[in-house]
Amino acid sequence: MNIMNIIKKYGTLIGFLSIIIFFTINLPTTFLTANNLINISQQISMLAVVAFTMTIVMVMNDFDLSVGSMASLSGIVAAVLFSMGYPIWIGIIAALLVGIIGGLFNGFLVSIIGILPFVATLGTLTMFSGFAFLVSGGKTIFGRDIPTEFSSFARTGLEITSLDIKIPFLSILALLILLIVWFILEQTIYGRRLYAIGGNTEASFLAGIKVKQLRLSAFALTGLGAAIAGLMYSSRVASSNPTQGSGLMLEAIAAVFLGMTMSEEGEPRVLFTLLGVLILGVLDNGLTQMNVDSYIREILIGFIVILAVAFSSITKRRN
Amino acid sequence: MRSCIKFLSFTLLLFFLSMSKAWSEKVTVITPYLAQPGTQMYVEGFKAEASNKGWDLNIIDTKGDVAEVISRIEDAVNQKVDGIVINVDPSQVAAGLEVAAAANIPVVGMDSGANPLLVTNVTSNGYAMAAETSVYVANRIEGKGNVVMFVFDAFPPVQIRGVVADAIFGNFPDINVMDRITPDVQDGGIADSRAKMEALLAANPAEGSIAAVWAAWDQPAIGAMQAIEAAGRTDEGIVIVGIDANPQARDAIKQGGNFEASIAQDFVGIGSATANAIGRAMSGEEIKSKVIYVPTVLITSANVGD
Repeated sequence: MNIMNIIKKYGTLIGFLSIIIFFTINLPTTFLTANNLINISQQISMLAVVAFTMTIVMVMNDFDLSVGSMASLSGIVAAVLFSMGYPIWIGIIAALLVGIIGGLFNGFLVSIIGILPFVATLGTLTMFSGFAFLVSGGKTIFGRDIPTEFSSFARTGLEITSLDIKIPFLSILALLILLIVWFILEQTIYGRRLYAIGGNTEASFLAGIKVKQLRLSAFALTGLGAAIAGLMYSSRVASSNPTQGSGLMLEAIAAVFLGMTMSEEGEPRVLFTLLGVLILGVLDNGLTQMNVDSYIREILIGFIVILAVAFSSITKRRN
Repeated sequence: MRSCIKFLSFTLLLFFLSMSKAWSEKVTVITPYLAQPGTQMYVEGFKAEASNKGWDLNIIDTKGDVAEVISRIEDAVNQKVDGIVINVDPSQVAAGLEVAAAANIPVVGMDSGANPLLVTNVTSNGYAMAAETSVYVANRIEGKGNVVMFVFDAFPPVQIRGVVADAIFGNFPDINVMDRITPDVQDGGIADSRAKMEALLAANPAEGSIAAVWAAWDQPAIGAMQAIEAAGRTDEGIVIVGIDANPQARDAIKQGGNFEASIAQDFVGIGSATANAIGRAMSGEEIKSKVIYVPTVLITSANVGD
């Protein structure tokens, strides 16, 4: 294996490790500490869940732009039900149902009606956002309306007394979803069929794969993931806001793209998506600690995403 | 030899610079709202005071993302800063405030709302602002006539303004609050307020049937002014007042029409007062009051040009 091949295969990973080394040198006492790493895991947990489940549709070369508004809507639905005095589990189940239904609707538009995913989910992005405003009356729902049992989920975790650390429940939940998505995509026939659709839709159809049903269900899973992330967000901020999830969509897609630069054929793999999420999260955390201006931080992150994707597409073309 | 001395002095300078950096206190300001003009002025006032104090300042804009405020508070705590300032509803970032409290790092709110986890919150006195503008109205109409109120009770900082105005108008036996309107604010508040005011003007065609419009913030006041102009009733002497004294309101006041007064928060002053408060907290002083008020200024045609 020559150097070019190594860089092609591990370029993004090498980039990630360089980022870690850079921050470790510049922030010797505060970056590579158990507490900070746990912090990062908690900070990226919501983005991670959206990105993991976004990977499911991106495996089929599809997109879901509506995940951010779905995350807002699910949080709002739960919070409105809480404020009406319903128990927590009803709020959560309703929010998750909204996620599944919204996802199915996306899937219906894309696979049954045949609208391009970009256009269909752009439409539902606006619709879900409108519903979130409608249901909440445009207001942030907070304070006594949000039960403390719900918001304390995001503030507590698994205490490991022997090591004197606490693994946040948000991080554990994200890890759990990673395992589930990994299992679905990599270990089941269902997952392999999704990859087949991504490879060649026509051929998959001719091979007898039920393309329509599979796409429909994949979008439902992405919607469900977005709803879970919305609930996590609401729990973390102990409130629900009709625009709370709007930042998630672009970052989730960026994370999947970053991950795609690592795979052999350029297809999304959920473990690589995790690496993409980690790159974004570590950059945010480290640059903040280094007092880098938040706007410069944003430019840098965008630049790094472009750099990684450009690099991988150039090396792949050469191949 | 010469270059050697130069090199040595340069190294020494670098050394001292890095030492002074290490000695200076680290303060982090975190806000989701830096794009808003008011917040920019807070930060401007804060920066000026911080540079006087020689602080190593980090200003972070999370661009509307409240959860990211929590993440950045965690980062600042981890970085062991000496003080943190937030400009967001503290109850929504309580998860971060608890982390800061556990690390004994003081957090001060810059117009954020009061919270037990904050050392203090520096803001304008919303009660006093509403009192000044409603008393202005009552005095201008000599304690009698019909008053239209524009309120927004769903938003606590605006709701308290309405309560005070209710009390003051209620104290004048000849003042009648003819309508208490909550405009739809999705379009910014001007257009719907204008529509509501137009309907009210149509329903009360007689000259003098509306004496004044009291608005809990500037946008409805501007909408009401536009409605009065469109109805051709600018000569009736309907007195309009707003709160916040935004640029559009100042413009209207300057023109000397119906829009007579608004009240300006001292955003820059809130910024510098916040810097003083966090400075006191960092030096270990106990700040007793959970709220620190920065005085506001009534803006009329007399001082709008200042």
